[in-house]
Amino acid sequence: MTVTSLQEVADGYRQPRSLGNPILDLNPITTLCVIVALIVTGIALGGWVPSLAVCLLFMVAAVVAGRGRTYLPLILKLWLGVGLILFLLRALLTPGHVLIPLGRIAVTTEGIEQGLAFACVVMAICGGVTLFFEFVPMRHLTLALERLGVSPQASYVLLASFQAITDLGATAKVVLEAQTARGVETEGNVFMRVRAFFPVLAPVFLSAMAATEERAIALDARAFNSSTRHTSLVELRRTRRWEPVLAVALGVIAVGVIVGRALGWF
Amino acid sequence: MAPQSKFGQFLTGYGRLTIYLIPIGVAINFVGGQIALLLKLPVYLDSIGTILVGALCGGLPGAVVGFLSNVINSITSPTTFAYAILNVGFGILAGYFSRIGVFRSWWKTLLSSVAFAFIGGFIGALITIWVFGGLVGGGTGLIIGALMATGMDVNTANFVAQVPMDVLDKVPTVLAVYAIIKGIPRRLMAKLPLGWVYLGQERPGAKAQPATAVQP
Repeated sequence: MTVTSLQEVADGYRQPRSLGNPILDLNPITTLCVIVALIVTGIALGGWVPSLAVCLLFMVAAVVAGRGRTYLPLILKLWLGVGLILFLLRALLTPGHVLIPLGRIAVTTEGIEQGLAFACVVMAICGGVTLFFEFVPMRHLTLALERLGVSPQASYVLLASFQAITDLGATAKVVLEAQTARGVETEGNVFMRVRAFFPVLAPVFLSAMAATEERAIALDARAFNSSTRHTSLVELRRTRRWEPVLAVALGVIAVGVIVGRALGWF
Repeated sequence: MAPQSKFGQFLTGYGRLTIYLIPIGVAINFVGGQIALLLKLPVYLDSIGTILVGALCGGLPGAVVGFLSNVINSITSPTTFAYAILNVGFGILAGYFSRIGVFRSWWKTLLSSVAFAFIGGFIGALITIWVFGGLVGGGTGLIIGALMATGMDVNTANFVAQVPMDVLDKVPTVLAVYAIIKGIPRRLMAKLPLGWVYLGQERPGAKAQPATAVQP
C-alpha cells in the first residue's frame, strides 16, 4: 500500500461515514421512523390501493437511493413467493359469489377483494422491512442505537448474531463435508439423513462455544465491559435539523389517519 | 460514566458468557435450518439454539435468542415475525425444564418434545388463524389449502396440518439439544449459569449464583 492510499484510508475514518447518497445518509433512526409511519398510514387507510401505493413508493425510494438493482429483484421474489400465495389462497378458498368454479374450490369476488387487500398489507410490511435493511448497514444501526443510550452489550449481541450466522454457516458446510469424507451417510432415506444431522451440528456448536472464551478475553482486553462511554472507529453523519421534524410529521399523519378512521371521518 | 441500561444489567446478571452465547444460539437456529435443508430433511429444526441457550443459561436468555432469531429471519421472510412469541416460549420453557433436570436423561428429553410441539403446533396454528385468517404461504400453507379443498374448515385444517408437523420437528430438535449438552466439556459447563444442573451439583444460593459464572 502506498503512502497516499494509506493516508486516504486514515482520512476516511476522520470524517463521518457517508454512503454517497442523501437518502442513505439519513440517520438510521429517521429512516426507521419514516418507513414505519408510511406502513402504518398505508394500512390504516384501508383497502388495497393505499398499501400498494406504499409498496410502490418504497420501490421508487430504492431506485432514487441507487439501491434499485438489489432491492427490486428481492421485492419481486417476495411478491411471487409470499404475496401471490397469500392472494391465491384467499381468492380460491373464501366463500362468496363464484366467478370461476374450479371443482370443489372456486375463485370468488369476495376472495379476490380480501386476497388483494391482505396481500398488499403484508407486502407493504415486507417491503418496508427489506427496504430498511437495504438502506441501513447493521453497523450504522447499532451505532445509532448506542448513541441513543442502548447498552453496548445489547448492540454487541445484535451485531454478533449477524456475524455468527455467516461464520457458523461456513463452519457447518466444512463440518458437513468433513463428516461425509469420514463416512457419515448424508444420502439415503430420511432416517439415514436425520442421523447425519447430529454429528454435523454438535461440532459447530461446541467449537463456537470454545471460541467464546477467546472472544471474551479479546473484548476484555479492549475494555468492552467498562462502563465508561465507548468510542467507535466510525462516526455517523450529524443528524440534520429537519430529520426529526420529518419523522415526527409523518408519525403525526399516521396517528391522525388511525384516529380519523376510528372516529369515522373517512 | 454512562448509566448501564436494563438490558445490560440483565445480561451481566447472567454472567458474561451468556452475552457471548446468545449470538451463537441465534446462529445455531439458522445453521440448524440450513443443515436440515442441505440434508433435504422435511423438518425446519430452527429452534435448537433457542432451546440450547435456554437449557444452558436460563429461560430469559433463551427467550432473547428466540426473539432475535425471528426478528432477523423476518428481514428476508417478514411473515416469520408474527411467530416470534413461539420462539420466546421455547426459550422460557427450556429454561424451566433445564432447572428441573429434564435434559439430563434422554427419555425425559424425548417427552419434553411434546410440550415444545404443543407450543409450536397448537399456538402456532392459533396465530396462523388469528393473524393470517388461517391462510399463510409456504409448505404448510399449501397442505392447509389442500385439506380445505377436501372440505375441512379452516381451523381444523390448521390444527391437523401443524400439530403433527411440529411433533416431527421437535423430536430431532430436543435430541440434538440432548446430544450437544452431553458433549459440552465440564470445564466450560462450570462457567454456565445452569451448568450446576449438568454437573450434578447442588444449586448455588439464588443470589450468589452469577458469581460462579462471571469470570469467563
